[in-house]
Amino acid sequence: MIKKDHKNDTDSLLEVVIKDYRAYPEMGIKRCLQCGLCTSNCPAARHSDYDPREMVKMVRDNNPEIMDNPDIWNCFYCYTCGSNCPANNSPCIVNQILRQKILLKGEKNTRIYKFLTYGYSYMDFGVGSIPSDFFDALVADFGQMYVELKINLEDIRHDLGLEDYNLKGKALNEVKSILKSSGFTNRLKKFKECHES
Amino acid sequence: MKKIPYENILLFKSCLVNVEYPGVESSTRYIFDKLGVEYRVDPDQSCCTGLGYYYDLFDQLSTTALAVRNFYLARRSGHENITTLCSTCYAIMKKTIKLLNSNENARQEVNDILKKAGLSHMQYQAGDLSSENNIFHVVEVFYSLKEQIAKKIKVDLSGIRIASHHACHYCKVYPEDSITPFRNPMVLDELASSCGAQVVDWYDFKKATCGAGFSQRFANRDLSLSATSDKLLALEGETDILLHMCPNCQMQLDRYQPVLEKELGRKLNLVHLNIAQLSALAMGADPYKIAGIQTHSVPVEGLLDKIKVHTNLE
Amino acid sequence: MSTTQSKLEKNHPLSKDQEDTRNPEKVGVFLCRCGGNISHTVDMAKLKDSIQAEFVGEFENLCSLDCRRHIREEIIERDLDRVVIAACSPITHLKTFQNYADLLNPYMVEMVNIREQCSWVHSDSEKATKKAIELTQAGVEKVKKALALDKIIRQTEKSAAVFGGGISGITAALSLANQGVKTCIIEKNPTIGGNMVKIGKVFSPEKLAEECSLCILNPIINEVINHKNIRILTKTNLLRAGRRSTHFKIILEKETGFVHEDLCIACGRCVEVCPVDVPDEWNQKMTTRKAIYKPFSQAVPDVYTIDLENCIRCGKCEKVCTMGAINFNLKSEVIPLKAGNVIIATGHESFDLNKRPEYGYHRFVDVISQMDLARILGVNGPTQGELLKISDGKRPDRVVMVQCTGSRDEKDDGKRYCSKVCCMVALKHASIIRERFPETEVVICYTDMRTVGMYENYLRYVQDKGIKLIRGRPGEVSKKDDKLLVRVEDTLERKPLEIETDMVVLSEAIEPSPSTMRIAQKFNVGLSQDLFIKEKHSKIKPVNTDMERVFVCGTAQGPKDITDSVSQANAAAAKVSEQIKNGTEAEPPVAVIKTSRCNLCGKCMDICGFKAVYRDEENMAVDPMACRGCGACAGLCPQEAIEIKGINDLELYAQIKGLLSDKKEKEIRILAFLDNVGYTAADTIGNNRLCYPEAIRIIKIPSINRIMPHHLMYAFEHGADGVLMAEYPDECMLEAHKAKIKELNESVKNQGIPSDRLRFYKAYAPHYRGLAQQFTRFFEDIAASN
Ligand code: SF4
Ligand code: SF4
Ligand code: SF4
Repeated sequence: MIKKDHKNDTDSLLEVVIKDYRAYPEMGIKRCLQCGLCTSNCPAARHSDYDPREMVKMVRDNNPEIMDNPDIWNCFYCYTCGSNCPANNSPCIVNQILRQKILLKGEKNTRIYKFLTYGYSYMDFGVGSIPSDFFDALVADFGQMYVELKINLEDIRHDLGLEDYNLKGKALNEVKSILKSSGFTNRLKKFKECHES
Repeated sequence: MKKIPYENILLFKSCLVNVEYPGVESSTRYIFDKLGVEYRVDPDQSCCTGLGYYYDLFDQLSTTALAVRNFYLARRSGHENITTLCSTCYAIMKKTIKLLNSNENARQEVNDILKKAGLSHMQYQAGDLSSENNIFHVVEVFYSLKEQIAKKIKVDLSGIRIASHHACHYCKVYPEDSITPFRNPMVLDELASSCGAQVVDWYDFKKATCGAGFSQRFANRDLSLSATSDKLLALEGETDILLHMCPNCQMQLDRYQPVLEKELGRKLNLVHLNIAQLSALAMGADPYKIAGIQTHSVPVEGLLDKIKVHTNLE
Repeated sequence: MSTTQSKLEKNHPLSKDQEDTRNPEKVGVFLCRCGGNISHTVDMAKLKDSIQAEFVGEFENLCSLDCRRHIREEIIERDLDRVVIAACSPITHLKTFQNYADLLNPYMVEMVNIREQCSWVHSDSEKATKKAIELTQAGVEKVKKALALDKIIRQTEKSAAVFGGGISGITAALSLANQGVKTCIIEKNPTIGGNMVKIGKVFSPEKLAEECSLCILNPIINEVINHKNIRILTKTNLLRAGRRSTHFKIILEKETGFVHEDLCIACGRCVEVCPVDVPDEWNQKMTTRKAIYKPFSQAVPDVYTIDLENCIRCGKCEKVCTMGAINFNLKSEVIPLKAGNVIIATGHESFDLNKRPEYGYHRFVDVISQMDLARILGVNGPTQGELLKISDGKRPDRVVMVQCTGSRDEKDDGKRYCSKVCCMVALKHASIIRERFPETEVVICYTDMRTVGMYENYLRYVQDKGIKLIRGRPGEVSKKDDKLLVRVEDTLERKPLEIETDMVVLSEAIEPSPSTMRIAQKFNVGLSQDLFIKEKHSKIKPVNTDMERVFVCGTAQGPKDITDSVSQANAAAAKVSEQIKNGTEAEPPVAVIKTSRCNLCGKCMDICGFKAVYRDEENMAVDPMACRGCGACAGLCPQEAIEIKGINDLELYAQIKGLLSDKKEKEIRILAFLDNVGYTAADTIGNNRLCYPEAIRIIKIPSINRIMPHHLMYAFEHGADGVLMAEYPDECMLEAHKAKIKELNESVKNQGIPSDRLRFYKAYAPHYRGLAQQFTRFFEDIAASN
């Protein structure tokens, strides 16, 4: 099984959210006033049908339909909502937890599949990177300049007096074994299988 | 204001600085060296996983366990003042420490992970580090030394207008920790003005996201660009430079500005610089050997000409 | 056992010999059958025969007026000097019997509760009778040790200082003055009148109209100025405050305004020549005034004053003043004031709108506060009452109001409370605008409309005038071309909006004023979590503070409107006059400090959460009105300088010993020391006829702080199998309470007594069943282990 952040699937959505490690102890989801301040500042609400206030309401109502709502995937994780919330809630974090819960259901998810390469490269080098699946799309937007930057990066970094940043040897092995024992390696495998099955 | 360190600093490498704007790191080091800030870069430091965490790919425990390994490195070398170039590294590590210090189960699980990985010596005890006193963003160090920086400015910026883009993950994840009021963050503005530039201060969407949205940039390009254009359009004609403190925001606004300009059919006439790049340039650093402006999408040369910084590549 | 006893008696201030020199006490015991309530269970004849006293009598209904005569007769006839009433609960009836026996000092009357604590809770007649005998005899022994006490009546000085000259302070001062109390109003600003004079109109939910606030206030202000009992000190601040037994010694500083108040005839010539322009606070800085000024035309006192901060000392005004009223050598004056009572009516301040930069108050001229709008709508305001934009002097097509700006916000820079008045203020202004400028649309963005009580009528009235309500809290205000944009979600429509408008009005939160905090600190008055003055009890003591003779009213205590401020002001005045008229009577037990022994260590002052102990010029003193006689200070005093009058040690010993006497082999006795709440709960157990073991013997105490380790040891050595202490500790004494529990637990441990023989229980009046269970469980545990 994929390692879960939360403990008990049978709990209500609200409790699942509150208990999640991504949540923080003072998070005011139960005290949400439904004032809509979050939505009024939310870039995703501005440019799509996503409504963080309503998402919070549905979680509080333990309404499972929120899990099937495609709009929740529009959140930017910009934390604007929580920074202003008069109830000290964080719709942003609530959203993150929901997405985790959805992903852990083990259903096919094309979106996460495309980001898997980030995980692989992390395991190979101990550093993050732009997911390679999207490289072509970036080049389409950024132009040839971007390709050249990537080709010349080593030289540029050398000119700037910067060392190699990839992990090697013992350090890399430590990272790998942490990711193995934390269940991350498995988690990637699971995401992959879910998609490919 | 919280106490900002100027020694025992672990300058925490950022994945996006590494590959997109390496000049940010070299500029930071340049400034630190000039100001006598004592720091170390650890070759064994792994990435914070922040991008992966916000792609929904990394789970909290994996991210936390990797952070604990980095904490161990910091403690081992006596450089416990972890100072980041990227706002997401900053927020991720604050989150990690808060979680570990307050949640015994999480701490236990993470220590078990380390034990299973044969790294028991790295385990974390409650209170080993504190989110307030051990995690900093580079701009905070600059901010606490802004008088010294001002004294070292060699370039006249008085004809330049500067607007700031304060990274969301610096101001909004832990608003109470930000050194200027989070509702109108002024760290970059005050730094710019101590470099001698004119400051735009507030503009519409000043506090709004850059639009990267982590996965949105890739999975939801149009949505992401809508938010980016809110910001850029609000600044049209208002400023010469948009000042950054986070490589992810910088990438979003710098790399997509030409895309947007193409769609609009006009130039927006503003360039992007990280505060470290700007300060280093103003202190006389070489644009290519230190500030690394050659990796930018929106060319910085025009601006440099204006402020009479020599840009000829030999 | 006997060794401890003698040691104790030797140590005690009232030594044995002293006791022996007194005449033997003549105690009369009056037994009540309580119409069968007692006599059905207790064998009254046996009870009567078993009690040893000068007189023992048995009556059907002792509380009847008829028995009053009997009691009086017996006292006279037999020359009784003390009385025991064995009947019901002293909580309900002690006063009655003290009254019936008013030939004696009230502290010579002891009540034994053989109903709630015996006949109603025990069913076995034989056991109940035995217990009744023991309870009554213990009462006899106790009352023998009672000391006659004089009532403590504290008459405070017939004067009052009222801090703050707003509507609350004025109202309180006027009420006191009308009752003949010399009252001084101390106001830090150059005029009295406070916020109410600024707001222009007040709403009336009954008349469904807006009324002119100055017109309402003016007659009151005039009365205040002309009242012989009122002195007004403006531009005056508190420097120091000292507490004495009957008054406060207050030192004030009256700032100079370089103008002789008695000479100035308010002709205003000076203003014409003053070259300095200063933003005018009266008009919310939307206009300017001069450095020499009168805040507004009806200001009181009606004199000009110089704003020292902005005056450039050019002397032009001095030259034109024909009265010679201006003198740049005038100094600030220190004024001592003696006041029996203090009322804090220092009002509030408005939330600093800089703290919400996203709303653009300081960026956009046409983003204003409700107070700014009040001035704009005021006929004596910057636009003479015309609704005009400050930016261009044009009438706005639309006004958007943003409710809860700074209120109901958990963030560190917000106010967690509801400011209570803003919904009504917004409606009032909406009403005025719709009435007078119907071409202007009003939109109110709200989180909840709070128009409680009758105010709901007013909401309907304003709604009928045509306003638009949007349920959502705006996120930001921005500007596009020449229009302001309000970003808000219409939460009922689930739709983020950008409302274009010409004017935005922020309904700013009410916040505690720094000067209130300073005054509170100087009088040692406690503040609430939100930094308003904390009332002693929000329900039953809403105008008392935690400091005796210091009262609070108006928004200094928390957000409230004029109506509530005025009622509170009158209540505060009533409380002051209560103090002054009859004085207050302090009920023993109270602490008394023997100054000869006291070495001024101040420990008593630190422990006393009731703030009863204070240091006057050279001594420590206890204010009997504030003291609860809990005994915490006495237990702590290293000099043993504090005595608790009203429940002395000898009484306690006698009662303990009495309740443990005649204990049979194997019989279990548990002493329960109960405070008032615990005792009430025990009474309720009786009222509900729940049962508990006869072994339980109750002693009423002011607080467990009264009990010292030596009392406990005395109890255990005289045969107590267990001791239960139940109290509902006062919040302000929680620390002392904890320390006491620790002290007593340790003393028991040191004596080698099993730790579970001493138990503590948090009494809670409605949870009497819990106490009954506690009694039973304690008994069963002891029975099991014996
Ligand atoms: S989450 Fe916060 S901001 Fe959003 S509706 Fe609830 S209380 Fe308002
Ligand atoms: S974190 Fe998500 S929900 Fe919150 S404001 Fe940003 S995009 Fe909206
Ligand atoms: S501690 Fe108790 S007995 Fe002592 S002064 Fe205060 S209230 Fe009175």
